[in-house]
Amino acid sequence: MLASKAFELIKELSRGNSGSLSPYNEDCIRQVLDEMKSLYEQNQKDVSDTVAGETGLFSGVQVRHAALERNKRCLLTYLYKRLQIIQEMRWEFGSVLPMDIRYNMCEQEISWFNRYNKMLAVYMRSIGDSGLDLTQDMQPPKSLYIEVRCLKDHGEFETQDGNIIVLKRNNQHFLLRSECEHLIRQGVLEHVTN
Amino acid sequence: MTQDKIQSRVELTLYRMGFLDSSTDDKDIPPGSKLELPFWLAYALCSQKRRIVSVELPKAYRESYREVMKADANVVNLYKLGPYYYNFGMKLQCFSFPEIDDVSKCLLSTFQTRFRKIMDASQNIMNEDTSKLTSNLDEMEKALFKVGQKSLTDFQLWETRQVEKLKTSDMVRAHRKRKREDE
Amino acid sequence: MLVKDPKKEFYDKIQHQRVLILVTFDVDALCACNILQYLFQCDQVLYTVVPVTGKQDLENSFLENSEGIKHILMLNCGATIDIIELLQPDDDVCFYICDSHRPVDVHNVYNGVQVKLLMKDEEMRDIPDYDDVFRDDEDDESDAESNDEGEQLSKRKRYSDEYILKRRERRQWEENRNKTLFEYTQFSSFGSSAALLMFEIAWRMSKDTNDLVWLGIIGVTDQLVHYRISREKYIEDVMTLQSHVSRHNFKEGPENNQPINSLKISFEDELQLTLYRHWSLFESICKSVTTACKFKVWSMKGRKRLHEFLAEMGLPLIQCQQKYSAMEPSLRNNVKELIQKHIEKYGFAPEDIVIPSFNAQYGYRNKLCASDVVLACCALLESPQEKSQNATDSFFQAMDILNRKNTKEMEEALNMAKKQIGALASQVQTFLDMQQVMSAGPFLYAFVQEGTLEAKCLSKPQCLQRLARFTLEAYSAERRSKKTQYLPLVLGVPLDAEQQTSLVIGIPPLNLDDERKNFFGKAFEQAAVTTNSRTLHNYFDNYILQMNTEDRGKFFDALINLLQVSLSLSLSLSLSLSAFICASP
Repeated sequence: MLASKAFELIKELSRGNSGSLSPYNEDCIRQVLDEMKSLYEQNQKDVSDTVAGETGLFSGVQVRHAALERNKRCLLTYLYKRLQIIQEMRWEFGSVLPMDIRYNMCEQEISWFNRYNKMLAVYMRSIGDSGLDLTQDMQPPKSLYIEVRCLKDHGEFETQDGNIIVLKRNNQHFLLRSECEHLIRQGVLEHVTN
Repeated sequence: MTQDKIQSRVELTLYRMGFLDSSTDDKDIPPGSKLELPFWLAYALCSQKRRIVSVELPKAYRESYREVMKADANVVNLYKLGPYYYNFGMKLQCFSFPEIDDVSKCLLSTFQTRFRKIMDASQNIMNEDTSKLTSNLDEMEKALFKVGQKSLTDFQLWETRQVEKLKTSDMVRAHRKRKREDE
Repeated sequence: MLVKDPKKEFYDKIQHQRVLILVTFDVDALCACNILQYLFQCDQVLYTVVPVTGKQDLENSFLENSEGIKHILMLNCGATIDIIELLQPDDDVCFYICDSHRPVDVHNVYNGVQVKLLMKDEEMRDIPDYDDVFRDDEDDESDAESNDEGEQLSKRKRYSDEYILKRRERRQWEENRNKTLFEYTQFSSFGSSAALLMFEIAWRMSKDTNDLVWLGIIGVTDQLVHYRISREKYIEDVMTLQSHVSRHNFKEGPENNQPINSLKISFEDELQLTLYRHWSLFESICKSVTTACKFKVWSMKGRKRLHEFLAEMGLPLIQCQQKYSAMEPSLRNNVKELIQKHIEKYGFAPEDIVIPSFNAQYGYRNKLCASDVVLACCALLESPQEKSQNATDSFFQAMDILNRKNTKEMEEALNMAKKQIGALASQVQTFLDMQQVMSAGPFLYAFVQEGTLEAKCLSKPQCLQRLARFTLEAYSAERRSKKTQYLPLVLGVPLDAEQQTSLVIGIPPLNLDDERKNFFGKAFEQAAVTTNSRTLHNYFDNYILQMNTEDRGKFFDALINLLQVSLSLSLSLSLSLSAFICASP
């Protein structure tokens, strides 16, 4: 069936769930492109036949054209949607993505991610006099310091005032909120409220 | 949803398009043969300007089903009629069916009747299994239900002052969970 | 050194500093820690809380976390060990110790720079004088120097009269020192609750809240529940707390002025029935130490007497056996009065069954009495762990339920407590049924069978403490002979089947109940040394130790000898002096 491969890509997108990125489906994409190519060639041929005087080929051209359009749309959706996911991941995971996610990205996607990263950094530095970390204080802070509990052995962590704290599973610390917000989002620390 | 099939009748011969109809081995499809075409293809082939195929209104939107909706829309399993019942119904507007006005009216009233129940459930069900309820909903209704539930839990969190608690990002948590399962 | 003014000498010192808080696994320490956390959060003092299970853990945690930290606070740990000797800290590190364990190590008492003791002044009376235990060792040094420098000098010295005199005087001083030290350290006991002390610090700084009072109450109640302090001391502390309670819970105007979900604490005479509000009355009576022992519920006769008692009070059995909260209100509201009225006939003194205590209420449902919280918290703290879990997981779970918002977790913890107490009671029943409590002459002993379901829940220090006490009381109730009143009990429970270790506890006899002093710490130490047993004195409670199960035989022989000697010397229960000296190299 026409454009069925392209539809598979779309289905793949809708199957993906939060926190993961399916492997870049190069194989499928190539097949779609091949299909488009042959459709295009067929159309070229039919058009030139029509010019040469054959009639009734118009409906076939129309079908193939629709299929070409369809394929294009699906491919673009696939790529765009993946970029959106990658962009969201920059905010959730931080500037360094976990290896298994990186592994599922294609080369262009990685370079796009790096460029996005750089742009974001440049933009954040340009705000105000000394820059502003936009990924911080995603919710308005209630206090400067918060109580946190380590969920896993993370190793040493240097605070802004130069002290070194060992983050070991099941220790509880009272720290600057701004310092540990990232670690909380990454699941190293748990915020304890009472 | 644009992949949904629609019953069509070929009006002009489709040369070298035999593969579209899996029931024949002929090279061409003659006029008058019936085909199941995906919406996007039917849309391209059936418009005011060119009538390569003509389309029929899908069953779920015909008179008999509209009667059912009128009787009691709440009990219908919309998901079974098409996971994107409303959206697909709206897409159908681009074909000039004679009864299309009735279809759109019916869609609206169906949504209105069902929405009351969905809204009510999404705002009041807490910590219960909702899968039975949601299995009857089409995708749009499901999304609405989810939003309602989220607003409910968010409100509850706010009430118990848990909003200020910083949490591990959902994405990171899901990622970690999957990793653990893999191991 | 004892801190005289906690605000000036402790709290002001640590402002704007990072503090490391080391906390042991007991409810009192947890409460104290919670109070401190509140205070530190008010003043934005940065801190790190690290739970420690024992002495080894203390050392490790110190090494891991001490980088760049100059102030270390210890809650219910550290006082009885020479902390400087053990941890070898840098010179500018300061330890603040708030520990209810006694006796305090003399080195800690007289270290004026690095060790600060947060304790009550009046509890520190019986500490040996400085001159008795320490000598400003000029002579010593010169002695040593002379030895090093040259034999000739020392030879000359050795023969001079003056020197001999000095030697004799020194020997005498040493003997005297050993004696004083021995007398000082022979009994382990407990001072004021750490939570209470922390609360009082908060109060002095006008930072106390109703929640903090409640934590203080729980700390003190924990001490009572685990037989750490005598009833008198408890009542004394309760009276202190009561004044704070009434100060915080005094309301003007109509009562319903207060929002329903605020914390209300009330002072009340409380039935000493374990968790009865969350159990059925019948179960609770059968599983509370006093009532179970007085009625001897493990025998048919005892059961009958219990039924009789319930009948006399006019409480239908059916009502007693269903959940307390589901009892008929008309009966339920009178239970306390009824029990108090009728129980004397069954050989109870009024103080056996009620004790002044506190209730906390917030919201409509959650009424808790202090001992409920202690038991729930303790059950969580000592919950049997699965392999993947760390002991410290349960520490913070227990800490979480002290926060009153976590009502759901609290309910689960209460259920765990019920399970634990159920295991405890059925173990006692097994001991009695199988006659597993034996007399070794100077003491009684019993061992929990390996591989039983109960053994797993019971192999925790605090729980073992309760089990030992329950067993001893049950045994002496069963025997009825006066003699059992004078016998201490040693109880063992298998800890790890693979490594062949068990946990052993010794508790003093019932007749010495008022003092709450335990001499087993020293005795265990000595018995282990003389027999070379593979033991591990890791707990801060020195009367609990881990030992290799194979060494049990010889260890017990030594213990019997030791206690027999000390008995025959009629030094009531103290151990022989010479033995002590050889035990402390």
